Amino acid sequence: MSRQGMRSTDPKKVNSELFTLTYGALVAQILKDYENDDEVNRQLDRMGYNIGVRLIEDYLARTGSGRCYDLRDTADKLQMAFKMYLSITPSVTNWSPAGDEFSLILENNPLTEFVELPEGHGGLKYSNILAGVLRGALEMVQLEVAAWFVQDQLAGDSCTELRVKFLKRLEDAMPVGED
Amino acid sequence: MAVAVAVIGKENSPLYVRTVNPSSELKFMYTIHASLDVVEEKVIVGKKSSGELRELYLGLLYPTEDYKVYGYVTNTRIKFIIIVESSYTTLRDNDIRQMFRKLHNAYSDVVCNPFYVPGDTICSKQFESSVKGILIQE
Amino acid sequence: MADDVLFELLHMEMTISIFQPDQSESKRSSISKLEQIGFCTGYRLVERLTKDWPRFKDELDTMKFICKEFWSCIYKKQIDNLRTNHQGVYVLQDNRFRFLTQLSQSKQYIEATPKYLAFTCGVVRGALSNLGITCIVTAEVFSPPTCKFQVQVQRI
Repeated sequence: MSRQGMRSTDPKKVNSELFTLTYGALVAQILKDYENDDEVNRQLDRMGYNIGVRLIEDYLARTGSGRCYDLRDTADKLQMAFKMYLSITPSVTNWSPAGDEFSLILENNPLTEFVELPEGHGGLKYSNILAGVLRGALEMVQLEVAAWFVQDQLAGDSCTELRVKFLKRLEDAMPVGED
Repeated sequence: MAVAVAVIGKENSPLYVRTVNPSSELKFMYTIHASLDVVEEKVIVGKKSSGELRELYLGLLYPTEDYKVYGYVTNTRIKFIIIVESSYTTLRDNDIRQMFRKLHNAYSDVVCNPFYVPGDTICSKQFESSVKGILIQE
Repeated sequence: MADDVLFELLHMEMTISIFQPDQSESKRSSISKLEQIGFCTGYRLVERLTKDWPRFKDELDTMKFICKEFWSCIYKKQIDNLRTNHQGVYVLQDNRFRFLTQLSQSKQYIEATPKYLAFTCGVVRGALSNLGITCIVTAEVFSPPTCKFQVQVQRI
């Protein structure tokens, strides 16, 4: 005997809300622990990196995707990954003249769906985990990149912009995870 | 449309009160406070029954000469009170339900903000703008 | 669905990173932090999930909701067995607990399991707390991935 209600709840929506809410609770806890915005940003980036390192396995297994030809190819694959894991399609834009830097523009960001930043935390990069995920995942496919947020809707910007800069191609033979 | 909207916390402390006309706030606070007993009573009666009476919307709590007071209680024991003018005869039960639904959605978004501490008064801008949509604009 | 993976990896990363061996903080405070993150998540999630739900009749009715709908949302399956002594103690058994299915069955892993349960203990406590039931939630694992959560309602 199933009760009425719930019918309207889309399981996919609930899934992403579960992730959003868990992430929110995590950020709030880290903020309580460290207080300092920069340190919180650093922790989120670090955790993201570790997630990215593991997530790439899943991505490769699902897509059967091969090596990236160039950075444009990488950008397309990142776009696809956002679609797969967060159900959003960021636009790829703002290429640097040298073609070694681009931006992912997020028009809506599921991570920040319910968030209103508390007063006095203007320096908090709430979604910084995403920058870390990108960095970690790409490192596993021999691409060393820097990734950082340049705009954030939470801070009043018109969109959320994640900048990605290619640093170097890592040698295949290098054992991963060593310093 | 409504002349006053209130969100009352688990322990009956007001989390949010807005009235169309700020000068009438005190008067409505009294009405709201008085309605809470009716709310509790309705919830107890509702729990014992089955089916439709267990819905979150409690309907009309009581009419005064000039106003009608409606109530709604979430499963998490948050009470919503909406007051409308009795002269608004075109307002149907369904319209009132819609208002509560909107309020409930807005409230649960407030709770989901990781920086909102449950039980604190609500000062979210998002919530404010949702309530504006429920209140009459003078 | 692919977004499941993201949640699982986030949970794993939270669990691992809160338990860094070089941190001076005790194991207990790490567990309580994870539990607290779970509490906030459960509290908020249940607010959304009960929005279209008829009012609960009583405590048992609420517990059934937690075992069925609420559990399914997070763990993709219902609780396999719910038992109660009708005096405020409920035992929820999950025979294939999502966060334990990937773990090996060897003994040393069984010792490491409490940290994989802390978040969930918090989630349950948070959800029940928002629904008006104050309780203590503990977990036990005998043979992974089977585990039991015990809810002890605190009556005032």
